[in-house]
Amino acid sequence: MSPKPKVLIVDDEERFRTTMCKLLIVRGLEAFSVGSGKEALKELLENSYDVVILDVRMPEMSGVQAMSELRKLDPFIEVIIMTGYASVDTAKKIMELGAYDYMLKPYNTDELIEKIEAAYDRKCTRQQLIGSEQKNTGVET
Amino acid sequence: MEKFAVLIVDDEVDFVETMVKRLKDKGLDVEGVHSGKEALKILNARDFDVCVLDVKMPGIDGIEALAEMKKKRPYMEVIMLTGHGSVESGVRGLQLGAYDYIMKPVPFADLLKKIISAYERKVIEEEREREK
Amino acid sequence: MAEQQIGNVIYRVLRAHLVSILILLSGIPLYLRAGELFAAGAVLLAVVSFFMTRGLTRELRKSRRQRRLLEDQLARTHKLASIDELSSGIAHEINNPLGIIAQEVQWIEHILKNSSGDKLKEKEDFGESLKVISLQVDRCKEIVHKILSLAGELKPVIQRIEINDLIDHITDVVKIDAAAKQIQIIREFQPTLPPICSDPPLLRQVVLNLLVNATQAIERDGEITVSTRCMDDTSIEITIEDTGCGIPEENLDKIFTPFFSTKPTGKGTGLGLALCRGIIEKLGGSIAVTSDVGKCTAFTINLPVERPQEGEVE
Repeated sequence: MSPKPKVLIVDDEERFRTTMCKLLIVRGLEAFSVGSGKEALKELLENSYDVVILDVRMPEMSGVQAMSELRKLDPFIEVIIMTGYASVDTAKKIMELGAYDYMLKPYNTDELIEKIEAAYDRKCTRQQLIGSEQKNTGVET
Repeated sequence: MEKFAVLIVDDEVDFVETMVKRLKDKGLDVEGVHSGKEALKILNARDFDVCVLDVKMPGIDGIEALAEMKKKRPYMEVIMLTGHGSVESGVRGLQLGAYDYIMKPVPFADLLKKIISAYERKVIEEEREREK
Repeated sequence: MAEQQIGNVIYRVLRAHLVSILILLSGIPLYLRAGELFAAGAVLLAVVSFFMTRGLTRELRKSRRQRRLLEDQLARTHKLASIDELSSGIAHEINNPLGIIAQEVQWIEHILKNSSGDKLKEKEDFGESLKVISLQVDRCKEIVHKILSLAGELKPVIQRIEINDLIDHITDVVKIDAAAKQIQIIREFQPTLPPICSDPPLLRQVVLNLLVNATQAIERDGEITVSTRCMDDTSIEITIEDTGCGIPEENLDKIFTPFFSTKPTGKGTGLGLALCRGIIEKLGGSIAVTSDVGKCTAFTINLPVERPQEGEVE
């Protein structure tokens, strides 16, 4: 686990994801961006990430699909869904499907970083818990 | 043919001269200017029924001029003319309310027909407003 | 289904009147002679039939009322569904460019805060950010404009039109772009087409939109066929066909819905065809699409010859 969260940004709008990358990097986070769910899965096979920022509406693979696929690859990864529109129903559904939280576009970088750090905290806690369970039971998961 | 007013706007001076003369010969009230700026100036002073507007002009371009014209003289019908044909200007112009979008060169007879159609539309719309 | 329902109804009526039937039955003394028994049976049958008919009629009326209620609900749901679609579409479309603008502004703030000596790189960064912002603002303006035309009232002004001339002239607008891609434009106009009553500039918008789509559907080397024909005395048909990439079957019925777009983000807002359909329907006509993926796509517009009923104002 790295001291700074490693963030993967997935959004089909190129300028949006590259500028988000820059904004996170200058605040001391590690960040990388890709343009689709498919590319995100490929990237996750090669590198590990702590938090994924996922656009909910993308051509080909939707954000929700991508989220379940990504978590199959890495069950500890935390997902923050990015959306231009969230009704109460959509929000509930997103949380039920396991997202850590969601953010509306346009967003404020301070708020986004707060959420990323909180998601990262949760990830660390979960990993520690599983780790200590393994020690106690002597069983490898 | 009923006498109505036409404004010709084009930076091609020869084209404007020819159009003004030929339309006057048909008995219409015609004025010609060579830029969007001049067109907006003359529209401050008087109204026209139909305007023939070139899309690509130095200074204010045709689309900007069209938008301003629609604000100043909302009942005036505008026929857009273009020499090199940008499809985007056509789509934009029609969306902004241009009556037609034509490629140059256009035979005078065809253009006259369109000018008359445009005038016809103006008459119908004005009547409809009056009836309200 | 219908038989089940009738069965249900009959069962319900019988059940409702079971008590009265039992009372009647119990009232028949067991020592009656055959003839009297027969008469009693006939009376019983008559009474039961009367009750049943009345019951059935009541049930029928009730189910008709229910159906009307359901139809109303369905109509309202469709409307709500499309309003909901519309609002989520709008929000998504506009919030995307706004999201970019917000980011660019934050990036510019960052640049300002960390002004180093490298003025040239800063200026470039700045300039680029501002250009991007400007583009996004244009995108938003465009979207709002299209939404307003979609939502707003299209007030057609009806004139007599020679459709072949109208289409011929507006097709000229795409000839340069088409030629650049080696696309041939074929015109097949029925010469005996009657003049129709419709709104010329609105039709030009629709036809131009379809022609632009057709040109974009073909990468290189293809054909766009624009044809007109008279369906009968009351309507004409305009078809724009291209030999382009085609539309997948699952998209065919969605293609006219607002905000549906298969173009990459930022290119096109998915409102063009929705607006086209709105215009054509306002003019009393209809628009349909057929497509063969990888081979061809054809949009067909049907328009009434006479003054459209839908399109008239007041």
